[in-house]
Amino acid sequence: MAAEMALLKPISKFSSTSHGFGSPRPYSKFYVINMSSATSQNSPKPKKAAKTGIKESLLTPRFYTTDFDEMETLFNTEINKNLNQSEFEALRQEFKTDYNQTHFVRSKEFKEAADKMQGPLRQIFVEFLERSCTAEFSGFLLYKELGRRLKIMKIYSLMLQKTNPVVAEIFSLMSRDEARHAGFLNKGLSDFNLALDLGFLTKARKYTFFKPKFIFYATYLSEKIGYWRYITIYRHLKANPEFQVYPIFKYFENWCQDENRHGDFFSALMKAQPQFLNDWKAKLWSRFFCLSVYVTMYLNDCQRTDFYEGIGLNTKEFDMHVIIETNRTTARIFPAVLDVENPEFKRKLDRMVEINQKLIAVGENQDISLVKNLKRIPIIAALASELLAAYLMPPIESGSVDFAEFEPQLVY
Amino acid sequence: MFAPATLTLRSYAGLQSPAEKVFQLPSRSRSRSRSINGSHSRQPSLEFKRLSVKTAVAAVDSNQLSSSQKEQSNKYYFLVANAKFMLDEEEHFKELLFERLRLYGERDKEQDFWLVIEPKFLDNFPNITKRLKRPAVALVSTNANILSYLCFNVGLAGLAWLGRFMKLRLDRVLSESYESDNLEQALASNPTNIEFEKPQNWVAPYPKYEFGWWESFLPPGSAEPKV
Repeated sequence: MAAEMALLKPISKFSSTSHGFGSPRPYSKFYVINMSSATSQNSPKPKKAAKTGIKESLLTPRFYTTDFDEMETLFNTEINKNLNQSEFEALRQEFKTDYNQTHFVRSKEFKEAADKMQGPLRQIFVEFLERSCTAEFSGFLLYKELGRRLKIMKIYSLMLQKTNPVVAEIFSLMSRDEARHAGFLNKGLSDFNLALDLGFLTKARKYTFFKPKFIFYATYLSEKIGYWRYITIYRHLKANPEFQVYPIFKYFENWCQDENRHGDFFSALMKAQPQFLNDWKAKLWSRFFCLSVYVTMYLNDCQRTDFYEGIGLNTKEFDMHVIIETNRTTARIFPAVLDVENPEFKRKLDRMVEINQKLIAVGENQDISLVKNLKRIPIIAALASELLAAYLMPPIESGSVDFAEFEPQLVY
Repeated sequence: MFAPATLTLRSYAGLQSPAEKVFQLPSRSRSRSRSINGSHSRQPSLEFKRLSVKTAVAAVDSNQLSSSQKEQSNKYYFLVANAKFMLDEEEHFKELLFERLRLYGERDKEQDFWLVIEPKFLDNFPNITKRLKRPAVALVSTNANILSYLCFNVGLAGLAWLGRFMKLRLDRVLSESYESDNLEQALASNPTNIEFEKPQNWVAPYPKYEFGWWESFLPPGSAEPKV
């Protein structure tokens, strides 16, 4: 799971927004993205995180939790007799095949490359590994819990066959992948004489709550954007091996196929719940999640241009490529996507980067916090208005041809 | 999956099927199930038959090659779209196929999927061809393990696991299935030249996959000379 959902600070109010007003007002939510503690509902470990010393900011990768009872209802084969099981069966086979069972084997190249890296580049790589590891691990926790919860119900109610063992198994298989990825990244950190205490993270990190339907949109996008990021880096480095400074990138080609498949699973989940795809609310949410994910990535990466330049990429070009491709992919399932290929979209992103830099500058200032907060107000207002404008750009109608009314006329 | 006996007991000019290779290397351990069309009625004309939904599928474990199974009709599943989409635009499709090929190599599995450019069998599917831009490319697969696995819903699905997954991934493809007892004929194609226009503004920070990457997946013996 990629890390690109951080801007979203999903609040439990979300649900009432969606059902009550129907019109999501995502832009207003970005105010709330201050560092207020996210209370985690139904989190696997609902202990309230004390002062833990974990540095969390607006854009750090988050841990997610969801309404497991609702998930169970959604995929209960008794209630939903028309769930397209064959699609899930196909996916289960695909996951069980376990393409990367023997892929994540380290070589001694890693340590050598890590030792060679010094100064700022070393710092950047450590941060990259930490963030990636956290993101993968957050996927692991969520999928693991979903797999467990959907299965447990089945044991408790054997006679009723209440839940969906196939879906449960796929979640478990996906958590296998994520654990593998996180572990591999953590071993990378050990080359820098560091290690993430994942057990501690599990307990200490805040969990962000998402209703199932938002989990679908958000994780779908995270997985697909993760695929496009990894494959782009991989193919770029294959063509420009002089920038191959760290061996982990060589693993990305096979690695990102896992991400892509995970995304396919969420695609199948959404197809099985067409109510999340076929009305105007779904369109508004789709656009909202696309925007959140793209903007988060763009702002994040533009703060870390050294990393991308360090491997020979132009950060903004890289990001735009990833955004455009992810958007094209997403248009195969979401009922609406953003018109990211319109040059105006990139102009808006670039303005957001500038505004975000001002915001960061205020934070680094020596002012007392009251002054800082006052200074932030106009900047955040400017960011919000850019976000709103981007959100309101005319969208592109999209979706799977399995649903489209025009399907019979479609030429393939 | 083919019955290797079927393959080796017939002569195909120029056909080097993977199954044949396996037959020449009997030391390779093979234990796989095989689909037998329960209600099969073989037609010597070797014509394609449209798959009827009631087809029963049984899985049989077979460790030895038995010539009694030579008269077997195989089910082929395919999904099809225009060549530009399949071979040029959807670059992740290339990754998926190579990933699968790599896995088959690692696990000593015979290849059971192919890309067929302008397949002849399409003539039997007017409902598909009238909606298809040409030249077309089909991904064709036959896989007994998967068939037996899916037998509970084969009538509904009409699509093998690989195809079902690929359909989910690619979305903009059509799918169907047919039967044939002859590999070569099942995968026969009409000679076609494929050309793609170079993309006008290629902005990705990497080059496109090379033209012709799909040649590794063409049916054995049908590799065409590069244009």
